[in-house]
Amino acid sequence: MSGGIGAHGLATRAARRDGRALLATWSEQHIKWLLVAPAIVLILAITVYPLGYSVWVAFVNFDFLIPGHAFVGLGNFAAVLGDPVALHSVVVTAIFTVADVGIEFVLGLALALALEKTFRGRGVLMAIFVVPLFIAPVIVGQFWSLLLQRPFGPMDYILSVILRHPVTISWLTEFPWDFIGIILADVWQWTSFILVILLAGLAGIASELHEAAAIDGAGGWQNFRFITLPQLVPMILLAVTFRLLGAVNLFDTIFMMTGGGPGTSTYTTAYYLYQTGFQQFHLSQATAGSWLFLILVSVAIFLLVRRLLKVEEA
Amino acid sequence: MDEMIPNEEHERALARELDAWLAGDHSRRHVLAALLGIGAGAAVLPATARAASRAGFLGRQQEQLLEQAAAELASPDTPLGKAQADAVAASTKAPTDGSAYRAVAAAKGKYNNVSLALTYEAGLQALEPRNFSGPLWQQLTGMNYSVVELAHPDLYSKAITEHIAGSGAYDVLDIEPAWIPSLANGGVIAPVDEYVKKYMNEADLNDYHPLFKYLPLYKGKRWGFFDDGDQLELYYRTDVFGDPKLKSAYEAKYKQPYRVPTTWDEYSQVAQFITDQLAPNVYGAVHFRKFGSPGNQYAFCQEFRVNGGVFFDAKTMQAQLATPAGIKTLEQMIAANKASVPGNNDLDAVAAWVAWLTGKSAMHFSWPPTGRMSENYSQRSKAINFVPASKIAGKVGYAIMPGKNGEMASGFVKAISADSRNPEAAYLFAQWQSSPPISLVRVMLPYTLRDPYRISHYTSPIYRSLWPSAKDYLLNLANAANFGITDLIMPGWQDYALTLDRMCTAVWAGKDPKAALEGADAEWNATTRKIGVDAQRAAYQEFLKGVACYPDHTVDAMGQAVHLT
Amino acid sequence: MTRKRGLLFRWRRFGIGRSVLLGLFLLFVLFPFYWVAVTSIKPSSDYLAMPPVWFPAHPTIVHYVAALFAYRGLAGLLNSLIVAVATTVASVALGTCMGYSMVRFGTGGRDLAFWVLSQRFLPPIAVVLPIFLLYRSFGLYDTRFGLVLIYTVMTLPLSVWMMYAYFRQVPRALEEAALVDGCGWWGAFWRIAVPLAVPAIIAAAAFAFIGVWTEFFFALNLTSRHAFTLPTVFRSFLSFQGAQYGESSALAVISLVPSIVLGMLVQKHLVRGLTLGAVRG
Repeated sequence: MSGGIGAHGLATRAARRDGRALLATWSEQHIKWLLVAPAIVLILAITVYPLGYSVWVAFVNFDFLIPGHAFVGLGNFAAVLGDPVALHSVVVTAIFTVADVGIEFVLGLALALALEKTFRGRGVLMAIFVVPLFIAPVIVGQFWSLLLQRPFGPMDYILSVILRHPVTISWLTEFPWDFIGIILADVWQWTSFILVILLAGLAGIASELHEAAAIDGAGGWQNFRFITLPQLVPMILLAVTFRLLGAVNLFDTIFMMTGGGPGTSTYTTAYYLYQTGFQQFHLSQATAGSWLFLILVSVAIFLLVRRLLKVEEA
Repeated sequence: MDEMIPNEEHERALARELDAWLAGDHSRRHVLAALLGIGAGAAVLPATARAASRAGFLGRQQEQLLEQAAAELASPDTPLGKAQADAVAASTKAPTDGSAYRAVAAAKGKYNNVSLALTYEAGLQALEPRNFSGPLWQQLTGMNYSVVELAHPDLYSKAITEHIAGSGAYDVLDIEPAWIPSLANGGVIAPVDEYVKKYMNEADLNDYHPLFKYLPLYKGKRWGFFDDGDQLELYYRTDVFGDPKLKSAYEAKYKQPYRVPTTWDEYSQVAQFITDQLAPNVYGAVHFRKFGSPGNQYAFCQEFRVNGGVFFDAKTMQAQLATPAGIKTLEQMIAANKASVPGNNDLDAVAAWVAWLTGKSAMHFSWPPTGRMSENYSQRSKAINFVPASKIAGKVGYAIMPGKNGEMASGFVKAISADSRNPEAAYLFAQWQSSPPISLVRVMLPYTLRDPYRISHYTSPIYRSLWPSAKDYLLNLANAANFGITDLIMPGWQDYALTLDRMCTAVWAGKDPKAALEGADAEWNATTRKIGVDAQRAAYQEFLKGVACYPDHTVDAMGQAVHLT
Repeated sequence: MTRKRGLLFRWRRFGIGRSVLLGLFLLFVLFPFYWVAVTSIKPSSDYLAMPPVWFPAHPTIVHYVAALFAYRGLAGLLNSLIVAVATTVASVALGTCMGYSMVRFGTGGRDLAFWVLSQRFLPPIAVVLPIFLLYRSFGLYDTRFGLVLIYTVMTLPLSVWMMYAYFRQVPRALEEAALVDGCGWWGAFWRIAVPLAVPAIIAAAAFAFIGVWTEFFFALNLTSRHAFTLPTVFRSFLSFQGAQYGESSALAVISLVPSIVLGMLVQKHLVRGLTLGAVRG
């Protein structure tokens, strides 16, 4: 501070040096926690604290149309459970989840088997197949609403040409075509997810096993049924659980393609909660619903995460 | 004022080229080349620069300069240019007691560092403040502005989101009059009575058609200015309805005169007849019935009340949709859908326009832009390029709705955000923008979706000269408003409306009408209970006192009808 | 002999089935791209033509101009880029530190690992309301910074896990040599471990970037006029503007570019990235 090299200045500098050395030692000792601290603090601040706060919101009245924040006990939970649209949305979510993941699994497995052996152009095919994985789901929804919506979309025309008689399907506004349309979009985007994982799984199955089986006279189907499939089961479980946890959150494509309609036909739980919370501003009801939804899916989360940990520990 | 008119020659050449293109005279390549040639300096550069400024690359100063350069004014020897010159004169010269002049005088130079955020429906609606009223206001007062484009339902939900977030992000809100109770009770919008007293020439408040005049009032206060005459009317093809062969065939079949329908049963009957006779070239009708775009609530509320339906039991506040009136309404709507263009139930409002303009339909009930597009007036603007050129210009007649009472569907009120940091500046802009001379330009810009709502709009000789039947068009708008009925203006309308849209689309998808109506009743009752039965009972009483709540309370029924010539 | 012919026959049958399956799926994957690309250059008068216009006679770029400027696609694009880059840096930096600590020092053990991983599967709808309420009190609503925070948390489990899996393969001996040289653990981490991990860091960065680039739900609810990202611009094409087919297609094409480029880039790490390292490709 004084500018000269007085005794005072030297002392400060020495103290500073000592301080720095102390700090260095301290940080060296606590490096393990210092390295994880920023990430942990951030996660706590951005998800754990709000989740705690939302417990309060779930038990009071927090609703744009009703003034004040009175304590209402379980009233918000009762409001969700008493809303037929909420229950309907759980059924819709279940239907979509099962149909999406089921079709993606069957198709993904078939494709993985078809791509198992190398051939010319396999790399190019894979490179094309995985592109949908990197596209925003909301844009996938836009893609498919452009393809399916009448009168602009070409889908009915293409089907008419193939089937040789006029097809007039309202893909986005008529049951069950609205479901089929949304499933198509989901299958388009996520089949390759299953494909990629199962293909990696197939590559991991030792080829000696197949050869041994072939010597024993096992046919293609038997080979698949008794050698490939059992070996592939862990991968299948992994891929399917991942997709299940993605599929239960189905929102973006619904948002773009049907807006939940016609009626509430395609309301998924995520869409219902969004509509209730951010369009109608029954914030407490939506928060209570979010908690119920979280509890419902947390079982699946728990199982998958445990499975992931096991892989790393192996 | 000269420097405000950016190169008339350029404007005219541009219009010529675009007209030619719309008429199909030139190849696309030629037009592009011509556009580049004409617009090298005047059109392309400001567009790029404007884009750069929007992206946040430029400072406030440059932004201001660029936005000024962008004010789009037509040549003063055109009707539009004349109206624009009048608007500028009314803002700067006389009359000095006019609302436009006083707003400019009060705002000028006082808010140079203020940037007003204006919410607008995304796309076409937003072109008007972007190209006309925004830049002009900036030139006149030095006040900056930005247009926030939102999808229609977001005009409601984002306004609330920002209010809950306390962000003060918006200043002037474009809202449905039917949202006023919810937004006023929720503290999202602020009353403007103090400012009106201080700045408004109150004579301008009497220039509104009586249907629209009282819509911004709620709980004894004024919450903004009505700004968009969204009255539904029926548009029909004079060639189809004047066809002698169809006439004799229809009259032989039904023993009724072949005419533009006056009841809803007649509407679907005539539509079905035309479809049977002329499809696939022309169908009887076309509707926008797709979920959420913009929603079936308007069409349902309109027919439901014509059929004698009432929304609630005024004592118990139980919803009354699942009644004979409700069932009759849905059945009539189903019959109309059946008689319409294939894929009718998948069309949004714009797609329905496309079908109508390309000559696919003999009738279409919709908002007033239909009339301007039908005569190819709107398509003069490149901004509206996704709407095809009209193939039916000169063949379109105007009528009020079947059943007489058309919905004043949505409409817009310019309101002031309660969280605005510059409420006075926001107010002055709203007053200026909705004042008679400025609003006249705004409802007659080719690309506008704002529709006439002032007596002075309906009687404007300039507007009446825009196309041969423009006068009939304006007279029909005014007359339709005489018989118009409003949306259900009370707290929770957005929830009630969502229920109706869900109900209708479920029915179009095959759900039984009675079951759908009962489900809707249950949802309405849940909404009412949530907000509070007593509060809603009081609110419904307020609604019943309002103008045009039911067919027996229309402007005409109250003896206030506007008769213009 | 018969046995041999049978094999050949079976192989052929499998080959035909295989080609048909792959061919049809290829068509299924490619057709939407084609349709959207063609729509983006179609003059509006071609929209409703029947049969559909498979390639416009007079292609136009007007929809691109409108999508970028009138619909604020450009501003959304810039926001998306800024937010994605910032998130990627933050997520990978935090993930590298955390992954390293968990491997070398066993920090937090199984519980911490479980907790971090489970963040990846929290349904967005369950947390978005409280986050919105939190953001409004801290002035983070509608800011790019607020988005970066939530996106960092969203992408962190993957970053941590990819780095964790990578560091497990780096022999401890290398760092111990550095320790002997008097570098200390910080030196060993910074000068040895991190440079060695560059390939993994790049892969983790690409996945973080894609995660942000494709995210819609948080951006929809946590932004409005300033920080809105590209996917949220598609919201403008709903309701009244549904018929803006050309504009929405043009914007979709624009947003595809980074997706495709990055998708190509991460091919090698695809399996690991998609499964949080559970499968080593």
